[in-house]
Amino acid sequence: MGRIWPFHGGVHPPENKQQSNQSAIVPMPVPKQLVLPLNQHIGAPAKCLLEVGTKVLKGQLIASAQGFVSANLHAPSSGTISAIDERTLPHPSALVGPCIVIDTDGQDQWVDHAGIDPLSVDKAQLLQRIRSAGITGMGGAGFPSAVKLQAKNKINTLIINAAECEPYITADDRLMRQYSEQIIAGIQIIRQLLDQPTCIIGIEDNKAEAIAILSQALIGIDGIEVAVMPTKYPSGGEKQLIQILTGQQVPHGGIPADLGLVCHNIGTAKAIADAVLLGQPLISRVTTVTGKAAAKAGNYQVLIGTQVSDLMAFAEVDLAATSRLVMGGPMMGFTLTDHQVSVVKSTNCILASSELELAPVADHHACIRCGQCEVVCPAELLPQQLFWFAKAEEFDKAQSHNLADCIECGACAWVCPSQIPLVQYYRFAKGRVKTLHAETQLAEHARVRFETREQRLIDEKLAKEEKRKARAVAAAAAQAAKRAANPDAEDPIAAALARVNLQKQASASAKNATAEPPEDAYKALKTAAAITRTKLKKSSKALTDALASGHEQVESLQITVDQLALKANAAKAALSAYETKLGLDPEHEKQLQVAAAQAGAVVRKLEKSLATAQDAAAIEVDIVTAKAAHATANQALQAYQHQSTALQQQTQES
Amino acid sequence: MALLNLSSPHHHSLNRTSRVMMWVLLATVPGLLAQSYWFGYGTLINLIWACVLAVGFEALVLWLRKRPIKPYICDGSALVTAFLLALALPPFSPWWLTLVAVLFAIVFAKHLYGGLGNNPFNPAMVGYALCLIAFPVSMTQWASTDTTLNLAQQWQWFWSETVSGGIDGYTQATPLDLMRHPKGLTLGELAATNPLLGLGLSASAWINAAYLVGGLGLLALRIFTWHAPVAMLVSLGLCAGLFHMGEPDLYPSASQHLLSGATMLAAFFIVTDPVTSATSRKGKLIFGAGVGLLVFIIRSYGAYPDAFAFAILLMNLAAPLIDTYTQPKAYGHQGNEKNER
Repeated sequence: MGRIWPFHGGVHPPENKQQSNQSAIVPMPVPKQLVLPLNQHIGAPAKCLLEVGTKVLKGQLIASAQGFVSANLHAPSSGTISAIDERTLPHPSALVGPCIVIDTDGQDQWVDHAGIDPLSVDKAQLLQRIRSAGITGMGGAGFPSAVKLQAKNKINTLIINAAECEPYITADDRLMRQYSEQIIAGIQIIRQLLDQPTCIIGIEDNKAEAIAILSQALIGIDGIEVAVMPTKYPSGGEKQLIQILTGQQVPHGGIPADLGLVCHNIGTAKAIADAVLLGQPLISRVTTVTGKAAAKAGNYQVLIGTQVSDLMAFAEVDLAATSRLVMGGPMMGFTLTDHQVSVVKSTNCILASSELELAPVADHHACIRCGQCEVVCPAELLPQQLFWFAKAEEFDKAQSHNLADCIECGACAWVCPSQIPLVQYYRFAKGRVKTLHAETQLAEHARVRFETREQRLIDEKLAKEEKRKARAVAAAAAQAAKRAANPDAEDPIAAALARVNLQKQASASAKNATAEPPEDAYKALKTAAAITRTKLKKSSKALTDALASGHEQVESLQITVDQLALKANAAKAALSAYETKLGLDPEHEKQLQVAAAQAGAVVRKLEKSLATAQDAAAIEVDIVTAKAAHATANQALQAYQHQSTALQQQTQES
Repeated sequence: MALLNLSSPHHHSLNRTSRVMMWVLLATVPGLLAQSYWFGYGTLINLIWACVLAVGFEALVLWLRKRPIKPYICDGSALVTAFLLALALPPFSPWWLTLVAVLFAIVFAKHLYGGLGNNPFNPAMVGYALCLIAFPVSMTQWASTDTTLNLAQQWQWFWSETVSGGIDGYTQATPLDLMRHPKGLTLGELAATNPLLGLGLSASAWINAAYLVGGLGLLALRIFTWHAPVAMLVSLGLCAGLFHMGEPDLYPSASQHLLSGATMLAAFFIVTDPVTSATSRKGKLIFGAGVGLLVFIIRSYGAYPDAFAFAILLMNLAAPLIDTYTQPKAYGHQGNEKNER
């Protein structure tokens, strides 16, 4: 018999195993309905392959694994798929999730299946067989077993977890007593897959009969030994079991395979044997039903997907007397508030406890730092310090006190004289740490984006400034060159002013000479049209500049300006038409003046917006403004055109 | 029946704070009896008075703090403070001395810091230290071993600090006090000339032995771990032994140190106070050793004959620092320093 190493801490809660381990495993009859959650394992949920109304046979694949860490799902009995919808899952928070509902036909008719001889096939085929059977860890976590059978590292030791350290649960105990041959066959298949590592079956010493039966069955078989360990909770925790059986600790952040170890549950070994030797996928398991409210406490061979309510009815659980319904054991299980949930691949126990059986709800008292939690902590943490940190939301300190290494076994809370729900505090802290981590990552991402954008804007601004300066210098040089070339030329502005004055005088004299109001109005209109054209030119130039400085958004402005140019041309044409006919209705003249002035104002606006569009940060707002201005200009020009047409008609008529 | 929705674990040990406190109270009984045997009824009167005061103050402050009164009174922590104070105060303490000590312990040292579990200093030791500084005469009047006061006389003393009947020699200096002021004599000569020293030493040895018995009982019940008391006794014994080996005329022996004054009371009932000591096992070792060392230093060179109150308060101050540096290696962190942050 192998050496047993001690592990730190642990507690000795009352075992309460005798209620359920006295009789053989009872197969439960096929229930009327089976509800199969698509995600009964760690990893990606399986994908449903069939539609509502499809008839299925026992053992038929109904949902397939999605990805490497996932597991197939098979129909546990024959019948018809009656629904595929969201149902309450066996989960501490009573989450809902997708489930396949099968109305059984009572025939329990198998799909064609056959076993294989493991020695006659190669490893890949063997592994495929196990993978397709949808086998997941039967101990509780539900990790897809095939993943652990493809170790990258060389596996020296296979550890079979038969500790069953949780009080009340006896499913593995009975399994070992009744199926020792199949279990050993399963272990041999696992060993074959892992290149024949030595195997240690770890069993707590409170299962004397199972130890005797297994030891008897192992006589004459090399490479597999039974290690009997003292009963102490949580010796069945994977990390603790590894320490007990090998004296090694799984490094923080590592997995057992790093030490050349792999750990499988004893129930998993049986399931693997069934899958390979009989060709039966994982469609049923042994579940303990116990507690004072259960009249027929014992172990039941239950189809996966059986409703807890059906199982309870079969085990004659008095619902009225049940105050707490626990799925799993009393130390790590979770309460069910709804018994319309399924037995899944990892459901090892249903504990229907009476009011006085489990610890009553108690107000917890102040922590007196007694340190008993530290004494019992199998992860060698300082539970009370973690509690203070969680309470004060000092998550960084909690993390530096290795919060992540807490296995939530509940030993600290079990022993706490102040009855503080310590595990709940750790779960809270772990959840917050996870959330904060995600938030930090998001914030970091946003910070990088923001800073990159800020830098880009600064760079653009600088580049633009450079260009502007260069242009100013060039313009000044050109001006200077022009002046140097023609020193007698008059100042263009003064010349323009002089021209304007001259025109004014001329128009005044013309006005005086003719004294015809339509002629006057025509001139004003002409001036307005000229101004419009000038403005349009200016805005076009501004647009060109904006284009030169490389704003993508300016494209839309370009279109706007182009359209405006078209309209301006139309206006010009209309004006020419007007020019051909003088002496018009003064009313029309006024309207045309107004329209032209409006168009001019619009173009000014556009020009202004183009100027401000230089500021890239406000460019989008400016585009909106420019578009609005364009619309107004359009309207004005349409009015202008309309008037011009009317004018032409009038002219023709007259 | 409506199904309860609770978080695991669903089972709980029968361990309760009140049970812990009750065992601590029970474990003081041998010491209490021994103390009463040697020094008369004073300690008992003090004890009852201190308990009444402690529970009264506790209830008053809980009421003022709007906290539930019954559960906190029932946890027994106030009674433990009262017991420790009554046992530590001289048997000839008058009523007001106990009152000041208990008031300061419960109201100031405990509740002003947030109540049970939150006080950085041991409440009993704060009350004791305050009285030691404020009323040094009353605090050093230790009962004489040949006290023959009956209950009525003791009661009279308790209220009025006089005794009808004019009995002499009801108080005397403690052996530690005598040994600290040998008046130019070596310790050997002192023992030869002063018969009271021998008598006092044997009395305190008996009392200390009684506390040791109670403390071992608590250890057997796993109320606390062995780390802090053993570290304290070993460090005090080592210091005393070394100095005694060097200068036997000047320094009392290790056994005299270990079995006189409040050594065992402190080792098993005060150093083990979980609230104010270090948390990890290694931390407890350092905490206990620190107390032992400080006790020896103060006893040998300080101004006070016994030193537990100060030694413990000083180490209370150091406890958070000790905790910071003695965090145990968690599972999976052994031998991979580089993975530590």
